Amino acid sequence: MTDELEVLDKRLSRQDLLKLAAVAGGAGLLAGRTGAANAALDRLAAESGRLQVLDWAGYGYDGGQAMFAAYDKRYPKNKPKFTVMANEADALGKFQQGVNWDVFRPYVGWVRYFAESGLVQPWDTSQIPNFKLLNPLMVKAGQYKGKQYGIPEDWGYDAILYRSDKVKPKARSWGLLFDERYKGKIAWYDDASTMLPVTGLYLGFKDPWNQTDAQLKQAQKFLVSKKNLVRTIWSSETALWQAFGSGDLWIAYAWPNDWVQMRKKPKPGLPVVYMFPREKALAWVGMLMLLKDSPRPKLAHAYANAWSSTASGKWLEDNYGYGHANLRAKPSSSDLVRALKLGDQKTFGPGGIAHIDRHIPRRDVYAKVWEGVKSA
Amino acid sequence: MSVEAEAGVPTASHARRRRSRLDLTGPTLLGFPVAWLVVFFVVPIGIVAAYSVDALSITTGPHPVTLTGWRQLVTGDPFLGHVYLSLFWKSVKMSVIVSAIIVALAYPLAYYLALSGTKRKYVLLLLLIAPFLTSYLLRVLAWKVLLGDQGPINSALSSIGLTSPDHPLTLIYSQFAVMLVLGYIWLPFVALPIFVSLDTLDRRLLEAATDLGASRWQAFFRITLPLSAPGVFAAFLFVFIPTLGEFVTPSLVGGTDGYMYGNQIADLFGAGFPDWRTGSVLALFLLGVVVALTLVFARFLQPRQVATD
Repeated sequence: MTDELEVLDKRLSRQDLLKLAAVAGGAGLLAGRTGAANAALDRLAAESGRLQVLDWAGYGYDGGQAMFAAYDKRYPKNKPKFTVMANEADALGKFQQGVNWDVFRPYVGWVRYFAESGLVQPWDTSQIPNFKLLNPLMVKAGQYKGKQYGIPEDWGYDAILYRSDKVKPKARSWGLLFDERYKGKIAWYDDASTMLPVTGLYLGFKDPWNQTDAQLKQAQKFLVSKKNLVRTIWSSETALWQAFGSGDLWIAYAWPNDWVQMRKKPKPGLPVVYMFPREKALAWVGMLMLLKDSPRPKLAHAYANAWSSTASGKWLEDNYGYGHANLRAKPSSSDLVRALKLGDQKTFGPGGIAHIDRHIPRRDVYAKVWEGVKSA
Repeated sequence: MSVEAEAGVPTASHARRRRSRLDLTGPTLLGFPVAWLVVFFVVPIGIVAAYSVDALSITTGPHPVTLTGWRQLVTGDPFLGHVYLSLFWKSVKMSVIVSAIIVALAYPLAYYLALSGTKRKYVLLLLLIAPFLTSYLLRVLAWKVLLGDQGPINSALSSIGLTSPDHPLTLIYSQFAVMLVLGYIWLPFVALPIFVSLDTLDRRLLEAATDLGASRWQAFFRITLPLSAPGVFAAFLFVFIPTLGEFVTPSLVGGTDGYMYGNQIADLFGAGFPDWRTGSVLALFLLGVVVALTLVFARFLQPRQVATD
């Protein structure tokens, strides 16, 4: 209750308070009832201002506005204001800036970290009508201690992309990223929380997301020994496409969208294959999270509902080449259906083709090990 | 108005006004830049220093003040060893090579512009700094195209039979690419201070040297070079300091081989899992080294005497 009053207090300007007093006082005098005053309170307590969203580039008014078009239409005075986050670490830094963020969108492996950090609050899924349309497996991945901290939205794989005219893999394996035959033509992805689990999968570790110190040292030693094969460690998709297009790279750790884009432009596109390794690919899921101190939680729920709609999901699939958690959303492109393995019912489950990315208890140590690889 | 004032004779009020104007001018002129320096340099450095000892932290929960970050820089880390210092040393070497080479390249250019007597020296100078009229990023990206495996350089080498299309010269994503692009980017910065020091050279000294029988080389080594040394040292520092902490160019053309100390700092602040403590330690260490080098080099920046023996 105290929290609610504090939030209300922040939202009401002096002018609003005077109006409230006048309406409440007048209503009390004339009708002797509180009904009108309550109505006025409801009206004035309605969430105001623009929704503050921290999201990845391409998901705001820089091309991704179709994802929240329904929200914009319904709340034209509260349109989202976007700040770009480069990654979850960047988002953590931006939380220091004193802005009252409402929503941000980290990936599934970070759900538990943010839930435990106290920076976020669980969603009230009853306020998100489209929630029931979302993939139950991904919904579960967004939960922590039985509460829904993450609303699953976009998803995709981390697997291997290669030029079929230049590369002949010996096996369907992550080992292609460490293949001596293609020295100088390989790109890794700049992310400790995926590269180290992938290395762990390749080396046969039991739990690649929770490696022991000895395993981390072994993974680090292995990666350092293979680094001479690697031309670049990418962090920008467009740079990756350009490097493939110019022939600088033939093999990369990549996402489905990279495969789609490289086949598309320029015509006839590059001869590229998106390979799912036998050790299993990784699958990531974007999770909308609600900040603990959000001054506009109701608007945030409406925003999450817009993102979760079938129309938004289909738009995302057709335009960005990623999957969407809304099970009714189906891409128009048969290429993408194949790349996302949408026909495969066992995609993520036991015997499926991918591990859903998960919580890394010692994320700081993983980051340090990865820095050691890059700096070596 | 009094007769004295009209006649320009200073009166007491006149002097008071002038004094008060002077009193106001000094602090105003000094105050703003000092305040600017304090707000945008000293305070941020203080904040970074606070992060380096965990007095400030971006993680939630208690965070007692600690010197762990500084200790690990010196003693090493179980997973990293002395990788930060090794990377720093690698960056120092790369920056020294870039700075030395482009100072050597820029000197003849500046010499020609300043001492050749050409009437178009300022036009030529403008041409030298013309690349500045385009975006930094664009210039780096242009090199990315030029140095690519199928770029113009490799295509030319392949067409004359020096390389095969299947085995192009590895130019892009290398230390070489980083140093080449940094050199290209900073060349005008190097030429300018050298040009200024040569342009203000007292030519009569050269004439006197010639009159006294000195050869052109002797005059150059005994007069021109010593007198232009402050410009050369300034030029060297102009390049060395920013390239030491450079991270944009290495991240665009450096690949795994061209990763520099500046990239490490940027990564610690904004990639993987944020480690602002170590990032702050590395940033302050870099600042300390740069300040120390500047102090050492400062004595060379003073105008020098010409040898008289």
